[in-house]
Amino acid sequence: MTVAITRAAARAASVRKVYGRGDAAVEALRDVTVAFGEGEFTAIMGPSGSGKSTLLHCLAGLDRPTSGQVFIGDVDLTTLSDRALTDLRRDRVGFVFQAFNLIPTLSAEENITLPVDIAGRKVDRSWFDRIVDTVGLRDRLHHRPAELSGGQQQRVAAARALVSRPTIVFADEPTGNLDSRSGEELLGFLRSAVDEHGQTIVMVTHDARAASHADRVVFLADGDVVGEMREPTTERVLDHLKSLGA
Amino acid sequence: MFRATWRSLLARKLRLLLTAGSIVLGVGFVAGTYVLTDTMNAAFEELFARAASGADLVVRSRQAFEDIAAGPGTGATEERRPIPEALLEEIASVPGVEIAAGDVSGAASIVDPDSDEVLGGLGPPTIGTNWTALADAVLTVREGRPPDGPGEVAIDAGSARTGEIGIGDRVPILTGTGREVFEVVGILGFGPADNLGGATLAVFDTETAQRLLDKEGVYDTITVKAEEDVDPVALRAAIQARLPKGLETVSSTDVADENAQALREGLGFFRTALLVFAAVALFVGGFLILNTFSIIVAQRTRELALLRTLGATRAQVLGSVVVEAAIVGVLASAVGVGAGVGIAIGLRGLLGAFGIDLPTTAIQLEPRTVVVSIAVGLGVTILAAVLPARHAARVAPLQALRDTAAEASGSLARRALLGGAAALAGVGALAVGLFGSPSNPAVVVGVGAALTFAGVAVWSPFLARPVAGALGAPFERRSVPARLGRENARRNPRRTAATASALMIGLGLVSMVAILAASLKASLDEALRKTLKADLTLSTTSFTPFSPAVARRVAALPEVGAVGTFRQAGFKVDGDTSFLTGLDPSTVEAVTSLGVSAGSLADLRGDAIAVASDVATERGWSVGDRVPAAFPSVGERPLRIVAIYDEDRLVGDYVVPLETYEDLYVEQLDAFVLVRAAEGVATDEARRAVEAAVVGFPNVDVQDQAAFREKQAAFIDQLLGLVTALLMMAIVIALFGIVNTLGLSIYERTRELGLLRAVGMSRAQVRRMIRWEAVIIAVFGALLGLAVGIGFGWALRRALEPEGVTRLALPAAQLGAYLAAAALAGVLAAVWPARRASRLDVLASIAYE
Repeated sequence: MTVAITRAAARAASVRKVYGRGDAAVEALRDVTVAFGEGEFTAIMGPSGSGKSTLLHCLAGLDRPTSGQVFIGDVDLTTLSDRALTDLRRDRVGFVFQAFNLIPTLSAEENITLPVDIAGRKVDRSWFDRIVDTVGLRDRLHHRPAELSGGQQQRVAAARALVSRPTIVFADEPTGNLDSRSGEELLGFLRSAVDEHGQTIVMVTHDARAASHADRVVFLADGDVVGEMREPTTERVLDHLKSLGA
Repeated sequence: MFRATWRSLLARKLRLLLTAGSIVLGVGFVAGTYVLTDTMNAAFEELFARAASGADLVVRSRQAFEDIAAGPGTGATEERRPIPEALLEEIASVPGVEIAAGDVSGAASIVDPDSDEVLGGLGPPTIGTNWTALADAVLTVREGRPPDGPGEVAIDAGSARTGEIGIGDRVPILTGTGREVFEVVGILGFGPADNLGGATLAVFDTETAQRLLDKEGVYDTITVKAEEDVDPVALRAAIQARLPKGLETVSSTDVADENAQALREGLGFFRTALLVFAAVALFVGGFLILNTFSIIVAQRTRELALLRTLGATRAQVLGSVVVEAAIVGVLASAVGVGAGVGIAIGLRGLLGAFGIDLPTTAIQLEPRTVVVSIAVGLGVTILAAVLPARHAARVAPLQALRDTAAEASGSLARRALLGGAAALAGVGALAVGLFGSPSNPAVVVGVGAALTFAGVAVWSPFLARPVAGALGAPFERRSVPARLGRENARRNPRRTAATASALMIGLGLVSMVAILAASLKASLDEALRKTLKADLTLSTTSFTPFSPAVARRVAALPEVGAVGTFRQAGFKVDGDTSFLTGLDPSTVEAVTSLGVSAGSLADLRGDAIAVASDVATERGWSVGDRVPAAFPSVGERPLRIVAIYDEDRLVGDYVVPLETYEDLYVEQLDAFVLVRAAEGVATDEARRAVEAAVVGFPNVDVQDQAAFREKQAAFIDQLLGLVTALLMMAIVIALFGIVNTLGLSIYERTRELGLLRAVGMSRAQVRRMIRWEAVIIAVFGALLGLAVGIGFGWALRRALEPEGVTRLALPAAQLGAYLAAAALAGVLAAVWPARRASRLDVLASIAYE
C-alpha cells in the first residue's frame, strides 16, 4: 500500500464558492482545504447539495472559486487566464462526465485522440494502443458514438481522459447512467489505470459501491469536508454516510 | 394556444429578428420600387401639369403614329415636321388668342468650361430650346434674366451646380450645327426642381435657337394662351380652321397627359424590372423562412408533442405554427414598408452612381404600396411556413418522451421524385419560354427558373453529404476545427442543403448574367472584327447622337480617306416597330463589310432599302420586293429592296441611303462616324489629325478599332454591374440564412460545444470550427448556383442566338471570383454565430438537465 504520501497532484486551499449575491447568496463551498496525492484514486462523496460537483469543477478549472487557491501540480489555477486554463485542461487534465461525453460526428478513435488533436500534437501510438486494449475497444474504434452502447461510450470517454497522460483525471458520476455490469467494467478500468500507470483520479459519486474502488474517500456535507476514509469498502462507506445523516 | 405561440415567439427574439430580416429586405425592395417610381411619376406629372397651366392650346404637325421606337441612343419620343414661321402671325391674329409663341427644341450639350467635358448626357437628354413669352409658366428664373441676344444662354440650375457655372461665365455649347460659346445670363429652375429628371437644358432667344438647332424659319410647335373668358374648345376649332393640312390643335392638358403617359410607360418598364429583382429576393427569403421554421419545429418537437399529450389537436398545432409565421410576416412587412422608403432613397443613389439621375421630390408612399407590400410579405411568410407547420402537426404525442430532436423526414424516394419532377418541369417551362413562342415568354421563363431552382433545392440534400465531405477533405487532416466543421456541415444534409439553396439562387442568377454578358461581349467583339473595316470610330460615351459638323470637319482632312456617316431612328415595318440606319452608300464599303449576299449597296439611291438576311428570310423578301415602311412624320413610304446583307451587328436590320434618311426624318444627328485613313497615312497619324479636328466636341470619342470594341464591352459591363448590384439583395438575404441556420444549430449543440471546451478546445478553435461549417455551406451553395447558372446562361445564349449572341463565353476568372466571394461571405456570416459559440459558458453547457 502507499505508505509514503507523495506530492499532491491537485489541492484546494481555503476554497470558498458563493453563488448569487446579497440575500440570495448560496455558499456552495465554505473554506475547503483538501489535497489529492499523486497516483491515488480518490472518491468524493456527499449528499446532493453538499458541494461535491462544485469542488470538482473548481479543481478541474471549469469554474473559479470565490476565494482561496486551487493547484494542479504547482500551478495556481486562480491566477490563470481563460486561455491558459483551456490549455491546462487540454494538456494536464482528463475528464469523464456522467453522459454526453462524446462528439457524435467523430469516430471512437477520433474521440479518444481529441485532446491531443486539438493541441496539434502527435498521438503516442504505443500508449494509445495500450489504453485501447485495456478498455477493450479495439474492434469498435471506427464506430460513431451512436453505434456504441452506453458502457462502451463511457469507456471511450475514459480512454480519452487518459490519452494525453494528464496529471489528473476528474470523473463526475461516470457510472451514473450505466447498468451495474458496465459500471463495474469502467471502474475496473479506472482502477487499473491507477495501479498500472500511476494515474491520479478524482471521482465524484453518490454510489458507495463505486466509491469502494477508490483508495480514499473524502466526505463533503454543506460545503465542507466532514471526514475521510482510507481503503473503503461498500459497507463502511454506507455506514459513514448514515452517520452523516444523509 | 395563441398565448403559447406568442410566448414561443418572444422566447426567441433573435431568431425572430433574423427570420424577419429576410422579409424586411424583400418587402422593402417591393415597397422601395413602388415608392421610387411613384415619387418619380408624381414629380414629372407635377412638372407637366405646371407646363400645361401656363397655356391652353398647342399647334403641331400630326404624327403618322405615336409609338416611335427610339433608335439606339436617341431618346426621342416624338418626330414631327416643323411648322413654317409665318403661321405664328396667322394664329396670333385669331380672335381670342392672347399670346401665341413658337417653340423650337433639339439636342444641345453644355460643356463644362473648366474640364471641357459635356455635362450630363448619360441617359437623360441634353435639351436646347428657346425662351418665349409663355416660358415662365414652366421655368423660373433663379438668378439673372432670360436670354435676349445672339451670344446669351440661360441654363438649368442642376447643370450650373455640377459645372460650377455662374452668371457671366462663358460656356461652349454643342448642337447639331457645331460648337459655339455663350455667356450665361440666367440660371433656371423647374419650379422647386433643379433640373428635369437629370436632363440638361440650354435656353436661347428664339432666333439663336432656330439657327443652332437648324430650324431657321420654322417652329416645332406653337403654344397658345387664350384671352380670359374665351372658351378654349371654340378657340381650338377656330385655330384648327386656319391650319393647313397635316397640322393639329390640341389642348395643352392633353399634351401634358401624353407626356405623362409616355413617362408612365417608361417608368412601368423600370418598375417591372425592379420588381423582378424584388421577387427574386422574396423567393430567397421564402427559402430562408421555410428552413428556419423547419429547424424550429424540429427543435420544438418535444414541446409540440407535450401540447398534443395535453389535448391540442393537429389543427391547433398547425395553426400555432402558421399564426407564428403570420405574426412574423405582418411585423416584418410593416418594417419592410418603412425600409422601402429608405431603399427608395438608396436606389435613387445607386442609379445615380450608374449615371441615371432622378429628380428630387417629396417621397410618395401610396396606400397601394402599403397594401401590396404587406400582402406579399405575409403571403410569402405563410406559404413558406405551411410545409414545416404540416410536419409540426404530424408530431405524435409519444415523441414528448423521446430525447432526440430529429427533423421529421419524409421518404427519401418521394423527395427525389418530387425534386426531379419540379426540376424537370422547370427546365421544360424554360425550354418553352426560350425556344417556343408562348404568348408571355417572360412569365414562362420566370416560372421555369423558379421551378428549376426549387427542384434543385429539393434534390440538393442528396448532394450535401458528398459535396460537403469533398470540400472539407483537403483540410480535415490539418486541424480538428476543420474536421469538426466539415462533419457538422454533413450531419444534417437537409439543413445544409436548404441553407445553401438560398445562396444558390442568388449566385445562379449572378453567374447566368455574367455568362450572358461575357457571351454578348464575345459575340459583339467577333461581329465587330468581321464588320468593321474603319481605322477610326467616332461616337459619344453613351452612344447619344452628335452633330454632323463633326463628320464634315473630319472629311475635310487630307489625312483621311473615306468617311462613313451613320444615323439611326425608329420606323414601322408592316405595323411592327423597328429601327433603321441611314448611311452613305459611296463610303460604306470602305469602312465596313456588311457581307452583301444579294444585290448591291451601290444601288442604294432614292426609295431604296437594304435588308439583313435574317429578316429577309423570315419575311420571305428578296431583291426587288417592296418593304411596307411607315415613318412618324411622313407616313407610309414603301421602299424597294436593292441589297441583302449578313452582318447586322453595326447597322441593324434595315439600311437606307443618307439622302433618303434626310428626307424621312426631321432630326439629323449622327449616331457614329467611321473613318478610314488616307492611302499611305498611318492610323496614328490620321488619329492625331482627327482628334485635333474634333477637339471642340468633347462628347465625341475618337477610337481605333480595339478601343471601340473595348468601349462596347465596357457598356455591357456597366449593365452587368447594375444587374449584379440589384441581385446582391438576394445574396445578402441568403447570408442571413446562413447566420440563422448556424445560430439555431449552435443552440442545438450547446452541450457538444461545452464538452469541446472542457477537453481543451480554445475559443479561437471553436470559432474556426463554426467558420469552416459556414464556408462549406456557402461554397456548396455557390457550386450549386454556378452549376445552375451555367446551365441557364447556356440556354439563354442559345435562345438569343438569332439576336446575334453567336458565341458562348464562360468568364472563368469572374465565376471563380464569385466562388471565392461566396467562401468569404461564409466567413462573414459565421462571425456572429462563432462568437456566440465561443462565449458559451462551459459549465452551464455541460450541466445535466
